[in-house]
Amino acid sequence: MRRNRVLSATAAGALLVGALTACSSDSGKDGPVTIKLVEYQKPRIAVVKKLIPQFEKAMAKQGRHVKVELVADTLTDDQFRTKITQQLHSGTAPDVIDMGGSNVTGMAGAGYLLKLDDYLDKWHGWDQYYAPAKAAARQPDGSYYSLPHEASVQSLFYRKDVLKRLGVDTSQPRTWDELIGRLKKIRAKTGGAPIVIPGGTAWGAGSWTEGFLPVMAGTGSTFYDAESRKWKLKSKGLTATFGLYHDLIKDRLLPVRDLQNPNPWEPTKYKKFPKGTLPVSAQGSWGWKYDWGPDGSAPIKDVRKKVGTWDYPALVPGTKPHSISGGGFGYSVNAHASDPDAAVELAKWLSSGKPLAKQLVAVGAVAPRKDLAGVAPYKNEPSLLEAQRKLKSCVQPPLGDGEDQVSQAVQSATAKMLSGKADGGQAAADFAKEAKELLGSTRVAK
Amino acid sequence: MQRPGTPRAKARRTGTGGRGALPLLLGPSVVLIAVFVIAPAGYGIYLALTDTQLTGFAARDPHFVGLENFRNLLGSEDFLASLGRTGEFVLWSAIIGQTVLGMLAALLLRQKWLRGKGLFGTLVLLPMVVPEVVASLTWASVLSSNGDGTLNRLLSLFGSGAAAPLQDSPMVSVVVINVWRGIAFAMIMFQAALEDVPDELIEAARMDGANALQVFRHVTLPLIRGPVFLYLLLTTITTVGVFGLVYFLTQGGPGQRTELTSIYIFQHAFRDSQIGLGSAASVILLVLLMLLGLTYARLAKVEV
Repeated sequence: MRRNRVLSATAAGALLVGALTACSSDSGKDGPVTIKLVEYQKPRIAVVKKLIPQFEKAMAKQGRHVKVELVADTLTDDQFRTKITQQLHSGTAPDVIDMGGSNVTGMAGAGYLLKLDDYLDKWHGWDQYYAPAKAAARQPDGSYYSLPHEASVQSLFYRKDVLKRLGVDTSQPRTWDELIGRLKKIRAKTGGAPIVIPGGTAWGAGSWTEGFLPVMAGTGSTFYDAESRKWKLKSKGLTATFGLYHDLIKDRLLPVRDLQNPNPWEPTKYKKFPKGTLPVSAQGSWGWKYDWGPDGSAPIKDVRKKVGTWDYPALVPGTKPHSISGGGFGYSVNAHASDPDAAVELAKWLSSGKPLAKQLVAVGAVAPRKDLAGVAPYKNEPSLLEAQRKLKSCVQPPLGDGEDQVSQAVQSATAKMLSGKADGGQAAADFAKEAKELLGSTRVAK
Repeated sequence: MQRPGTPRAKARRTGTGGRGALPLLLGPSVVLIAVFVIAPAGYGIYLALTDTQLTGFAARDPHFVGLENFRNLLGSEDFLASLGRTGEFVLWSAIIGQTVLGMLAALLLRQKWLRGKGLFGTLVLLPMVVPEVVASLTWASVLSSNGDGTLNRLLSLFGSGAAAPLQDSPMVSVVVINVWRGIAFAMIMFQAALEDVPDELIEAARMDGANALQVFRHVTLPLIRGPVFLYLLLTTITTVGVFGLVYFLTQGGPGQRTELTSIYIFQHAFRDSQIGLGSAASVILLVLLMLLGLTYARLAKVEV
């Protein structure tokens, strides 16, 4: 009898606990949710900080209590990539991460990021995205792990006013030989190196995304074969690109010493280009606002009048001048986010309408979607709208697993050229050797 | 009934009791060393034998690759060059710079005629008290190639053009800064050692006609050989591990001119996510340090 009583009491207790647990889990879903969003660049921090209360209000209108905590951590691109990788690996990363598209491939491959395919399929906003922007965000496994909220066009920016004053032709150069002829003329008149193209280790991943890759991508050689998922480490295009760096260094057209500075963009893009003493610079469309706009790092007065853009001239016979889609930042969601639905909701909200328009103007990025051209304040930015029109005809850079390692090998090889230890041929050979070591033979085409 | 102090009671206290207390006394240190030194080192050696990465598809499924990382590193000109630079950095900044200047400072402070010893000692000690990051950033500001750097402002007073020592002579710059930072520790170690040298011996040598250099070479130095080698061992280990000071000043550049092995390891393991390769580089450095440590220990034991 006593035993029966004990059994029934235990069963009743278990039922009660079960019911309470069920209640509490339900209440947790409807209850307040906190999402952490990380931003690491000052202009982004400033604009997102103002947008967060609006998102919280929008969610409250839908009956959801979502609180967003902004993790503002001002760092350089390389510092951020190193830090967020450690955080993702150790399971301490924030829920939503705003970062450059070039970081996504490696992190998605490692399984740190949430696959967004199902969310995007159900979202009408995704239909508004340009095909090249979608293609740039699509990862080697065919899925999406970031919601791109900006695009960029990588071209050669030049100082119209300076070149005209020096009597140098400002029309689009057709070939690199033609451009080198003009650069030599500038050097003869000013005595300084006239062009900056990122290279070496100090510029970090920028040497790859803003320096080497835009030149290489227009040569027509296959760099990454998406079908076999292998990198081709020796090609006519690669040899020609290393050869171009060599020619520019040999003719003292590149500011070698500045490129070896720990922060090479400071003496070049922030000092000499605004001053006009280094009048040509490889640059993404964000330069219009982020670097040289009125609130940029190194403002140029009347930047639209003084600065123009060229496509990259043809390097290999049979190719044409080109600009390249430089990608941009996107919102990724941590695979272990506390509330993935709310995190994706935040990413979608920040990538639409007025909130997106404000961010694009703050950082000088191009809209990756069609329906932004008429949204203020973006619609009042002619330089960005012009770049947006160019986006459709841009060359797409290759995107493959192992991009981080290829980037590293490019940085090392170009660093050797800058320190005079290698010419174009040696650098191409060193690059192929190091990239193969880092990628492992399974990711390299024979 | 046994009274305290009898042989059996003494045996219980010092013999059986001592043996029982030994694990208790040593236990915490053994556990700490095992958890914080041996286990991480063991894990590092394991990682060095794999292709562990932090990013990319390879990060999901690391493979055992045997000695491949070591083969790649020992065949890599960049890694070997970084070892060479580390050797150069240790030799000039720690073994020669800090040791010689630290010894001079200690000998100077021993002199009875010296006035303002307190101020002198404080000035030498100050760089050691400053945190590494603060020291680096201060020097970065002093040596900045811009016209507003402290050095360039001073040079402009004399009508000289702007200098860029961190770009023109980066290794010399980081060596000088590391010497500046490390003299204090050397001075303290040598001061303590010099306390043990009897004044009578020095006076006797003086009376025999020895000059200051001869006294130091034949009397003082042999007597403090042990502490000197101990200092050399400690400074070699800490200098090989110097990272922040150089990284904040030059990030290993310009080019790779100040890329010490510690920076090479950081860049490969963390910036480029190649944990396996970085671990293998750390293991090589560990082995080299152990060999150096054994050499110093043997040298220090040599009878005078």
